[in-house]
Amino acid sequence: MSVSDLVESAFSGSSESGKTFGIRSDLLERFIKTIRRDLRAKIGFLVVALFGLSAIFAPMLAPYDPMSQQFPILMPPDPLSANPLGTDSFGRDLLSRLMYGARISLAVGLGAVTFGAVLGILIGLFAGYYGGYIDDLLMRAVDVMWAFPWLLIAIMLVAIFGQGFWNVMVAIGFAYIDDFARLARGEVLAIREEEYTMAAKSVGLEDYEIIFEEVFPNTVAPLIVQFTIFTARAILAESTLSFLGLGVKPTTPTWGALLGQGRGFITQAWWISIIPGIAIMVTVLGINLFGDALRDAFDVKETGQT
Amino acid sequence: MGMRRYIAKRVAHALVVIYIVATIVFFAVRAIPGDPARVLLGGDASAEAIAALREEMGLTEPLYVQYIRWMGRILQGDLGTSVFSDQSVLQMLIGVAEPTLSIAGLGMLIALLIAIPAGITSAVKQYQWEDYVATTVSFIGISMPGFWIGIVLLIIFADRLGWVPAFGYVSFRQGIIPWLKHIILPALAVGLPYGGILMRMTRSSMMEVLNEDYMRTARAKGLDGRLIVFKHGLQNALIPIVTVAGILLGVLLGGVVAVEIVFGIQGLGRLLIASIQRRDFPAIQGAVILISFVFVFMNLLVDVLYTSINPQIKYGGSE
Repeated sequence: MSVSDLVESAFSGSSESGKTFGIRSDLLERFIKTIRRDLRAKIGFLVVALFGLSAIFAPMLAPYDPMSQQFPILMPPDPLSANPLGTDSFGRDLLSRLMYGARISLAVGLGAVTFGAVLGILIGLFAGYYGGYIDDLLMRAVDVMWAFPWLLIAIMLVAIFGQGFWNVMVAIGFAYIDDFARLARGEVLAIREEEYTMAAKSVGLEDYEIIFEEVFPNTVAPLIVQFTIFTARAILAESTLSFLGLGVKPTTPTWGALLGQGRGFITQAWWISIIPGIAIMVTVLGINLFGDALRDAFDVKETGQT
Repeated sequence: MGMRRYIAKRVAHALVVIYIVATIVFFAVRAIPGDPARVLLGGDASAEAIAALREEMGLTEPLYVQYIRWMGRILQGDLGTSVFSDQSVLQMLIGVAEPTLSIAGLGMLIALLIAIPAGITSAVKQYQWEDYVATTVSFIGISMPGFWIGIVLLIIFADRLGWVPAFGYVSFRQGIIPWLKHIILPALAVGLPYGGILMRMTRSSMMEVLNEDYMRTARAKGLDGRLIVFKHGLQNALIPIVTVAGILLGVLLGGVVAVEIVFGIQGLGRLLIASIQRRDFPAIQGAVILISFVFVFMNLLVDVLYTSINPQIKYGGSE
C-alpha cells in the first residue's frame, strides 16, 4: 500500500466522523505493526530500549560513581573483575562512566533533532502553504544555511555561546533546521492542492487550522523517518563535538568525551577509546535499522540524507 | 532558458550566498566572547598595552567601519593577517589546504571505489547473500564516527603492525609512497562512512532504474544482462548518485576535522579549532569562508553536471 492509498483510505475513513481528514491513527497502527513484523525494527527497538533504559536508570544500575577515582588506573577489561570494562587513567570505572555517558549523549541527540525538527517543520509548512514571497524569503535563508557544513555551524555556535548541555544541543540541532524545512515544504507542496485541503478551505477554516490540523498530519510519515535517521546522526555529531573538546563540558562523561580522554593512551590502554566507540556504533546502528524499517513501512523514498 | 544563461544564473546565486556567508561569519566571529588583544598578550598584560594593541588591530573602530574595510580588502583578495602568527591568512590557508585536500580527495576516491560496485552488485543481486553482506557492511559503516574508525585503524595498522606511521603528514612532493603512507588511514577513516551512505544511495537508485520499463524492454529484447546494467542502468542511476555525493560533501569535510586531530595532521580543521581558541579573528574568517566557498562551488558543479547528464531537466526551475 502506498502513501497515496493510505491518504485516500484515511480520507474516506475519517471524514465519516467529520472531525479530521488526517491519517494519524493509521500511522500509529503501522508503527506498531512495523515493530512486530520487521526484524530490523525489532533489533533496532531492542537496542534503543536497552541503551535508553540503562541511561535513564544509570544512577540505580551503575555499579559505581562515575567520578570516583577509587580503582587502580588503566586496568584492562575483565568480565569477572570489579571493573568489567576496565578503568581509565584516573582509576574510574568505565562501565559506570559509559552508563552515565549514555544519558548525556542520548539526551543531546534527541534534543538536537527535536529543536531542528520543530523550527524546520514550522518554516517548511509556512513556506509551502503560503508560497510567494514568504516562500522565497524563507527558502533563501535555508539556502544560506545549507552553505555551511554542519560542524562549522556547531563549532561557531559553541564558540559564541559557550559549552553546556543546552548550547550543544542547539548547536547541533541548528544545522538540521534546513533539512526539515526542505522536507516539510516539499510534502506540503505535494498535498496543498489535494482534495482534503481544498475541502478544509471551502468550509472556511482558518489558515493555521488548515496547516496544523489538515496539512501537517499528512506530512508526518516522511518526517518521522527523517527524525529517526537524524537522531542517529545527532548522536554521532555529539560525539564528534565532545571529542574535539567542544561538547557539554570537558569533565562531564559523554561517549565522545570518554573517547577523547582515551586518545592519549591509545598505545597503553586501547579500551578507553575503543569501548565508548562500540557503544556509539551499536546505538546508532540500532536507530538506523529502526529508521530503515520505518522507511519501508511508510513507503518513504530514500534520499541519501541518512 | 539556455544552458549558458542557467549556469550564469547559478554562479551569480552562489556568489550571493558566499557574500552572505562572509557577512554572517564576520559578525559571528565578533560575537565570540573574549578580547583577542587580551588573549594574545596573556593574563598579566597591562591595560595600556591591551588598549594599544586593540587600536593597532583596528578593533576600536565602529563595527560597520570594520566591516566595510574588511569587505573592501576581501574583494581585492586580501584575507588579512593572522593576529597570532603575523602571517598572511591566505598563506596560512594555502599551507594547510594540502593535507586536508589530500585526505578528503583520497577519502572520496575510496568511498566511490567501494560504494558504486557494491551498490550495483547489491541492486542486481537483490535479496541474495551479496546484497545482505553489502547492506550490512554499509549500515555498520554509517553508524561509526569517522574519527573513531581512525583510532581503531591507528591502533591496528600503525601501533600494533607498524605498517604506516601513526602521526603527521608528508607532502607528495617528498615522494608519493611516503605521502600515501601518511594519508591512507585518515582517508579510510573519512571515506568509509561516506562510502556507506553512497552505497545505499547507489543501491536504491539502481534498483529503481532496473525496474523501469525501458530496462525491462531491453532485457525482453534479449540484450546481454550485464551490458544492460552497465550501459543503460548505471548511466541513469548515476544522476542521483552524483547529486548526493555533492550534498554529502559537508559530511565529509566535517569528518576531516576530527580525523586530523586523531592523526596529528596540521590541516584546515586543526587551524580552525586552534584559531577559535586563540580568538584569531582573521584566521577564523578566512578558514570558514574557504570551506563554505569550496562547499558552495562543489555543489554548483554537481548541479551543472546534473543538468548536463540529464537533458530532460528544465533549467531554472526551483526545487
